[in-house]
Amino acid sequence: MLIKTENLWKVYEIGNEKVQVQALRGVDLDVKKGEYLAIMGPSGSGKSTLMNLIGCLDTPTQGKYYLNSRLVSQMNDDELAFIRNKEIGFVFQTFNLLPRATALHNVELPLIYNGTESKERLEKARKALKMVDLEDRVTHKPNELSGGERQRVAIARAIVNNPSLILADEPTGNLDTVTGADIMKLFDRLHTDGNTVIIVTHEPDIAKYADRVVHIRDGMIEKDERLK
Amino acid sequence: MQFLESVGMALRSLISNKLRSILTLIGVIIGVMTVIAVVSIIAGMNKYVASQISSLGSTTFFVDKFGIIMSDEEYLKALKRKDLNLLDMEAIKERCPLCWKVGARAVAFRKVKFRDKYLSDIAIVGATANITEISSIEVGSGRYPSEFENDHNRRVVLIGWEIADNLFPDKDPLDKDLKIGNHYFRIVGVAKKRGTFLGQNQDDFVVIPITTFNKLFGTRRFMSVFVKVENFGSMQEAQDQVRLVLRARRHVPYDKPDDFSIMTSDTFMDLYRTFTSTAFLVMIGVSSIALVVGGIVIMNIMLVSVTERTREIGIRKAVGAKKKNILWQFLIEAVTLAVVGGLIGVSLGSLIAKIIAATTPLPAAIEAWSVITGLIIATSVGLFFGIFPAMKAAKLDPIACLRYE
Repeated sequence: MLIKTENLWKVYEIGNEKVQVQALRGVDLDVKKGEYLAIMGPSGSGKSTLMNLIGCLDTPTQGKYYLNSRLVSQMNDDELAFIRNKEIGFVFQTFNLLPRATALHNVELPLIYNGTESKERLEKARKALKMVDLEDRVTHKPNELSGGERQRVAIARAIVNNPSLILADEPTGNLDTVTGADIMKLFDRLHTDGNTVIIVTHEPDIAKYADRVVHIRDGMIEKDERLK
Repeated sequence: MQFLESVGMALRSLISNKLRSILTLIGVIIGVMTVIAVVSIIAGMNKYVASQISSLGSTTFFVDKFGIIMSDEEYLKALKRKDLNLLDMEAIKERCPLCWKVGARAVAFRKVKFRDKYLSDIAIVGATANITEISSIEVGSGRYPSEFENDHNRRVVLIGWEIADNLFPDKDPLDKDLKIGNHYFRIVGVAKKRGTFLGQNQDDFVVIPITTFNKLFGTRRFMSVFVKVENFGSMQEAQDQVRLVLRARRHVPYDKPDDFSIMTSDTFMDLYRTFTSTAFLVMIGVSSIALVVGGIVIMNIMLVSVTERTREIGIRKAVGAKKKNILWQFLIEAVTLAVVGGLIGVSLGSLIAKIIAATTPLPAAIEAWSVITGLIIATSVGLFFGIFPAMKAAKLDPIACLRYE
């Protein structure tokens, strides 16, 4: 089991009047290695919160989260940073590339933080860019790339470190339908290559690319359906 | 690697944002510049004074009735003491075996005149012939009054460069007769130019034999005896011998303190330090204020930079940057800024020190240590004022950063 969560709760306190918002209310989710999963839900359903927890950007208020049979729900910030670096590749709706850095530098960024030697780093970054068919855009900066190309740079960055999990948050949200479809084909390919992919989306058209769809509503899993 | 990357990033953003960079750095530049200029001038003065004092040599000491006077009371007390005279000098010469060279000098101020030209208030130095042992005055042409001339009260004189320049503008002063006070002296030597120190002319003097001086300008003048020993090891013992000789001659009871003073080059150096160290500290302190202002400007820009790059911080954290990675990145940027400012400041400060030395009486010495100190100060300013923004950046929450617009 790659991901195992037990009764995951996340409660936010808003303002100083102790207004509590229960973003997640007891989520149990198991994801096997190599699965292609979509997490679906309307805005405010708690899917972003769930993604932040799965992505180790945040810790739950209550409950346990095992990633690769390691208990990450009680780790501190720096331990989480280490896990994110090693286990998770993020793809965001807004790409989140460093605007002043070249595609190559953006892709090698995760490797910088795990102390990979500069030669090996460049080699791996080039390889990752090749995998997303951007080997001729290596020295381009984000503002010299199209939206689809930017997202592919982001995907290259997500896979450069061979993570256990690729976590994509509305990866086609800022793209037109055709480009979006291209990006989704790329995720398909990554999945076929053996990667575990989780896509968070509110679009059913995107969710249907996945093998399994988990529907979230009001902080709880409403439905867990297998498509293939 | 991360280090070089951060330095490179800081330099790139410096270059791409020229106006902002200049405004950011100007505080540090001015701060370091002032400190370097001030320190260079202080170092120049220290060096000059040290060279003047050390030209006396570490094997020389002086005896006079005043010593170093720090208050009116001390002055009045010292005034009542017996004068030193040439007999005291002779006694020292005879009864202090460790005293290798013994001489004396006295000073008065008189008008000097050649034909219709004259200069007032010129220092008339009466000296024994061996004054050359301790004097920093170099002879340009001719010679000092000799020992023979000293023994026979000859009216001969070595004149300072200023006298030669003013009274003998178009002729050789040697062998001319100079009128000092009411007496004529044959010029036997002209000193080399010494220049000015702190605006003080150092070339308006004449040197005559001390015997002649005593005869013509009074024996009751303030006279000091100088003693040179053969090696530094015997300094203390020689001073003790001189003390014994003088106490006996001057009938000082065994339970009373000396009624004369013995001074070494250390005494003068200490005196110089006492007078100047506080002033120097204040000067450096005042010029450091600009550095603090410069540091605050850097801190401000770094805080802006942290806010501007919130998203970047989020991205870096998402891909695995730890707190310390972010902290170092911003700290190195702040330090790079400050060091660039420091380098410019050091260059400008050195330039200013040189200009000041060239156009004013103040000397200046730009030394490696002051340049290094300037850079260390700049680095410290960067560290000190960069740590707060860097810590702020390191503590940011990755989720909030990624959502930041």
